[in-house]
Amino acid sequence: MTALATAPDTRTESKTSPGVNRRRYPARYIVLGVLLVLLLLVVAPLLVVALNAVKSPSDYASNGPLSIPKSLHWDGIVDFWQRVDFSRKLLNSFITSAVVSVLAVILSVLNAYALGIGRVRGRVWFLVFFLVANLLPQEVLVYPLYYLSKSLHLYDSLFSIIIIFTVIQSAFGTYLLSSVYAEFPTELLDAAAVDGAGRFRTLWRVVVPVSRPTLAVLFTFFFIWTWNEFFLPLVFLISNANQTVPVALGVLQGDRQMDATTTSASALIGILPAMLFFLIFQRTLTRGITAGAIK
Amino acid sequence: MVRSRMSLAAGALLMAASLGLTACSDSGSGDEGADAKSLTLWHYEGPTSAMGVAWAKAIELFKASHPGVEVKFEEKSFEQIQQNAGMILNSDSTPDILEYNKGNATAGLLSKQGLLTDLTEESEKRGWEKKLSPSLQTTTKYDDDGIMGSGKTFGVPNYGEYVMVYYNKDLFTKHKVAVPTTLAEFEAAMDTFVKAEVTPLSVGGAEYPAQQIFYELALSKANRAFVDDYQLYKNKVDFQGPEFTFGAQTFADWVRKGYIAKNSAGIKAEDMGVAFTQGKFPIMISGSWWYGRFASEIKNFEWGTFLFPGNTLHPGSSGNLWVVPAKSKAKSLAYDFIDITMQPEVQNLLGNNGGVPVAADTAGITDAKNKELIDNFAKISSSDGLAFYPDWPAPGYYDVMVGGVQGLINGSKTPQQMLDEVAKPYQDNLTDLGK
Repeated sequence: MTALATAPDTRTESKTSPGVNRRRYPARYIVLGVLLVLLLLVVAPLLVVALNAVKSPSDYASNGPLSIPKSLHWDGIVDFWQRVDFSRKLLNSFITSAVVSVLAVILSVLNAYALGIGRVRGRVWFLVFFLVANLLPQEVLVYPLYYLSKSLHLYDSLFSIIIIFTVIQSAFGTYLLSSVYAEFPTELLDAAAVDGAGRFRTLWRVVVPVSRPTLAVLFTFFFIWTWNEFFLPLVFLISNANQTVPVALGVLQGDRQMDATTTSASALIGILPAMLFFLIFQRTLTRGITAGAIK
Repeated sequence: MVRSRMSLAAGALLMAASLGLTACSDSGSGDEGADAKSLTLWHYEGPTSAMGVAWAKAIELFKASHPGVEVKFEEKSFEQIQQNAGMILNSDSTPDILEYNKGNATAGLLSKQGLLTDLTEESEKRGWEKKLSPSLQTTTKYDDDGIMGSGKTFGVPNYGEYVMVYYNKDLFTKHKVAVPTTLAEFEAAMDTFVKAEVTPLSVGGAEYPAQQIFYELALSKANRAFVDDYQLYKNKVDFQGPEFTFGAQTFADWVRKGYIAKNSAGIKAEDMGVAFTQGKFPIMISGSWWYGRFASEIKNFEWGTFLFPGNTLHPGSSGNLWVVPAKSKAKSLAYDFIDITMQPEVQNLLGNNGGVPVAADTAGITDAKNKELIDNFAKISSSDGLAFYPDWPAPGYYDVMVGGVQGLINGSKTPQQMLDEVAKPYQDNLTDLGK
């Protein structure tokens, strides 16, 4: 926290008074040091996972979790991949996350357009409702959802998960986007109206393009959140052919035994896709966050 | 306002849901599905574990004897089955046969809800019952309230498990300690290690191992009637009685004398095992589930096992059960499969891979170490010496026990206080059951 707060400080000061620049240098190194320590703290668990993922079980047993592996042992990863048919799980996870994030963004935009710009009556209550739905723990939802999906014959099908998460994510999206749209510049809307644009045209040609950075952020978050969901997929995706990545990782957790090296291997290949996705969309994220600040 | 109405609605739905569960749990039984063309089979054992190896063989044998039947095997996660079995078995995605946990809260609960097939008739007809000793049968039978010990047979175990003492032979020789045969000798042996500044016991106080030591000590003063009272609610149990008092007091003494390290209150079972594997401790008291792993992973020293000295009763039970869901579409195929798993060929394979088969022919066990493991189990099992686990009698009792024993390890509770603390949830559960 302190590092984050002091970092911009030194930069602005060095700009305004170049004379102090050289004397301020030690402070910069301190900041750098603190940042490095923080970085290490964040990366350390991942490093331990990576270390143990490529360690042979007997190496782990005799030298413990923190030692450097004696030789690279890829069997854990390969075995796990084949054992749970990991390619299939990746595909399942990718399909659900992608479909959910697209649908949830569309739904959020439509809702928020009505609530934030359309200013329908009772919108505050709508927002409170969405917020409460968001705060509801998933455990409460399980039984109702189970019986609903069973009577619709969607139990043990990816569709159930897609529908459920589209609703859950768009509840949050609606809440967030509505407050963004409430601040939407009325000049733009008025101009569109003068040009004779209808409601749909205004939404499609004006509102969506202007808020695209925010939508990209929502899309990215929805994707990663859905990717990491464990509890509801665990309940709803019964057949191995339908399971998502986090559910497949659970296969290694036994009754009393745990296989530390294979678990690490699975954890590593389990988080890699989400991290890759994050890296790819990292620029849209930062752009989306700063987009509001400039205007 | 909105919120309270929402939760009211959720509550109502939940009520309706649970009513629905009991309502639609009726279903016919009988010898249906003899002409089924596929058998969906689930279990959650790793492919290299003793059970995994033996059951792979069983599937092979089943395919050979049932040409034209497709076996759809899926490896499940323990957690998924543990959390959702009730929901899965009540849906159309039911497997035809699956491995499931024994106990009141698991198999007992499902049997009460009518989700499991009554196997009593098959078990008599095919002679499974005869292969299981009385204390193994306890976990296969559940009464109308879902309490184990009597009533109909709902599951068949292939393997057993029990708690024993693992010891590092090299460290025993180095400190000139002989394998103890009485509790007094055992304590003397540990004194020798303490004097040499070696902590004798590797203990995982944050999980199940510590409470099993406490229970093992209580059992040294107990008889079968005590176990029946405690586990099967036959009579009231006095937590301040001689058995538990001895258990808690001796456990506290062991901590005081340095047999158990103070910091073990925060150690997990996995770390306990790894520490023993690394040769940091001469002794570890835990279950047979470690056996196969130690056999393959301990390379730097010789190790062996002995039964807890002086005890006739030991923590242990049958392993998990094969159960046939009430909605299974291939029941008679499922019975055939269970029958195959009880055959000597599969049972011996289980034994030769470090498991504890329930019906092995010891002549067929080739490895000397595995033979010792199985002989010890036969000794306990035939003398009706399986006392189950301390956390079984009440739902959520596991955490109560962990907390209680942790209190003894770090000295924050006296034995008396600890026993009072663990007595309460037990009595509450009895009240709930109306006993």
